[in-house]
Amino acid sequence: MSYAEKYSTSELMAAFVSRQIRNDDVVFIGIGLPLVAGVVAVATHAPKAILIYEGGGIGARTRRVPWSISDNPTTDNAIAAVPMWRVFSDMQAGYVTLGVVGGAEIDRFGNLNTTAIYGRGGSYRHPKVRLAGSGGANDIASSAGRLIIMMHLGKGKFVDRVQFLTTPGYISGPGAREEAGLKGKGPEYVVTEKCIFAFDEKTKEMYLKLLYPGVTVEEVKQLVGWDLKVAANMEKPEPPTEQQIRLMKAFDPDGSIMKTPKIAPDKWEDFDAFYELIKAAYESNHIYNSY
Amino acid sequence: MQVQESKVLTLEEAVCRYVYDGCSIALGAIVSREPMAVASEIVRQKKKDLTFVNDSSVDPAELLIAAGCIRRVEDAYIWMGGVGPAHNYRRAVQEGIPHYLEIEEYSNYGISLRFMAGAMGVPFLPTKSMLGSDMVAHNPRIKVIPDPYGGKPVALVPASRPDVAFIHAQRADAEGNAQIWGMVGNDDNIARAAKAVVITCEEIVPTSEIRKIPNMTAIPSYCVSAVVKVPFCCHPLSVSGYYWLDQPFRRSFSKASKTREGVVAWIDEWVYDLKNHEEYMNKVGMDRLSKLRQMELDNYHIPTIETTG
Repeated sequence: MSYAEKYSTSELMAAFVSRQIRNDDVVFIGIGLPLVAGVVAVATHAPKAILIYEGGGIGARTRRVPWSISDNPTTDNAIAAVPMWRVFSDMQAGYVTLGVVGGAEIDRFGNLNTTAIYGRGGSYRHPKVRLAGSGGANDIASSAGRLIIMMHLGKGKFVDRVQFLTTPGYISGPGAREEAGLKGKGPEYVVTEKCIFAFDEKTKEMYLKLLYPGVTVEEVKQLVGWDLKVAANMEKPEPPTEQQIRLMKAFDPDGSIMKTPKIAPDKWEDFDAFYELIKAAYESNHIYNSY
Repeated sequence: MQVQESKVLTLEEAVCRYVYDGCSIALGAIVSREPMAVASEIVRQKKKDLTFVNDSSVDPAELLIAAGCIRRVEDAYIWMGGVGPAHNYRRAVQEGIPHYLEIEEYSNYGISLRFMAGAMGVPFLPTKSMLGSDMVAHNPRIKVIPDPYGGKPVALVPASRPDVAFIHAQRADAEGNAQIWGMVGNDDNIARAAKAVVITCEEIVPTSEIRKIPNMTAIPSYCVSAVVKVPFCCHPLSVSGYYWLDQPFRRSFSKASKTREGVVAWIDEWVYDLKNHEEYMNKVGMDRLSKLRQMELDNYHIPTIETTG
């Protein structure tokens, strides 16, 4: 195993999350980067981990990352394809040991908002920016055993209190999840493109655990809307391995998920460019046979 | 002797007969098997004031909202998943263009259980999802109560019984016994919960084919009002064993949707100016559609059932 010398932050993020997936995990996985982390884990150190997609696909073996939680590859060579209510029920019943979700706005206690940004004078009914809604994120965060959140550390996205709590972290602090009646343990990590946050065991507050190379504590503090605490012994990230990066590139043939588009923006709507690229990627890689 | 009318209709007939202004409607599946051609036909027939009941929806919800067909949504997620934001949903909610929407929100599991309650004929079901969230605060139809058998809180969601559901299957027989491969979504329950069900399918097969592999029948004929053969019904979305997601096409729609003028022109070009789904397929081009099919077949085949003797 050799570490890659050059890698992008998306690759670092996906590698970190991938390493959190254990061989005995049953993982409920959300759209985007989480999907890459999941398939890479299964193709490397965690071949027995079972990935579950919301659409009902269980344990798929696919040649590329699904472009949504219910795209055809979510059931390609799967061990089961069951209804959506069934996979959510399996999670609620306690079979899912790890969930991985994305977010748009997050707060001190790891609560996520993917519903609406109200803006000045706005409200839930009349927001400044309407977002997608929960989808399955609320369900994953409510009932999965452990939880990892992957999101962009943008200005104004890490706030003291989310305006709309779509998906529960630790709600208002210690004991709040239990009081609300939630079954899962709550978030373990928040993985961003600058650093990784974890949660204090006692206060349930998010703190800075690990910085990526070249990022400063000050820089992160300025992007966070509360008095951010910092781990006493800050850890260094483990770089992605060459194998992980090779797999990420192969599983994301058009680069649309790892944000390294292999098609020029003016060809983004060009069907032939899309078709030729993916066809060639499929023909040249044999990952599919190796896991 | 009573003469039974055939359930097999055209798409135009099915939409005309079962979708009416002000009705509640569910479209089955998410991304894979989401019936885009049905949404287009609803737009073409200018149906309005619909209540759209759905777990998650991508392109069809965007199109129906942009065309002004939907008045109210009861859902968990509307977005152009895998492509970009839901520009049309945003314009409707944020600016009232073409008009404001009433929204009643749940999680995907919450909606799943609403359909399941409808399918079971019970008024509600409990869940451990959505507790502690603001969905409960803003949606009075989610009721949080203590477990009546002594215990922690549970959230109750009301049964959903849409007036009509359209569900796309890989294949069905003329009676509507529908077999689904790949992602199933909530379609088994949506079909049982809805008051009328139209099955669209890639192929209509003899009942003897259905009988060879009865475990694949997600929806039995007694739930079904009508059957329509619609090849490539879901384009630009996908169908397992039949065709891939056409991401470039979805990106074009998403790009056009950035402005109101853009999406209005797109709807003219791709819906109103075309008489039906056959004209749509011709405009997309059979070469492109067959490549999408080939890409899927290179990955996944629906297993063929061999019979002996």
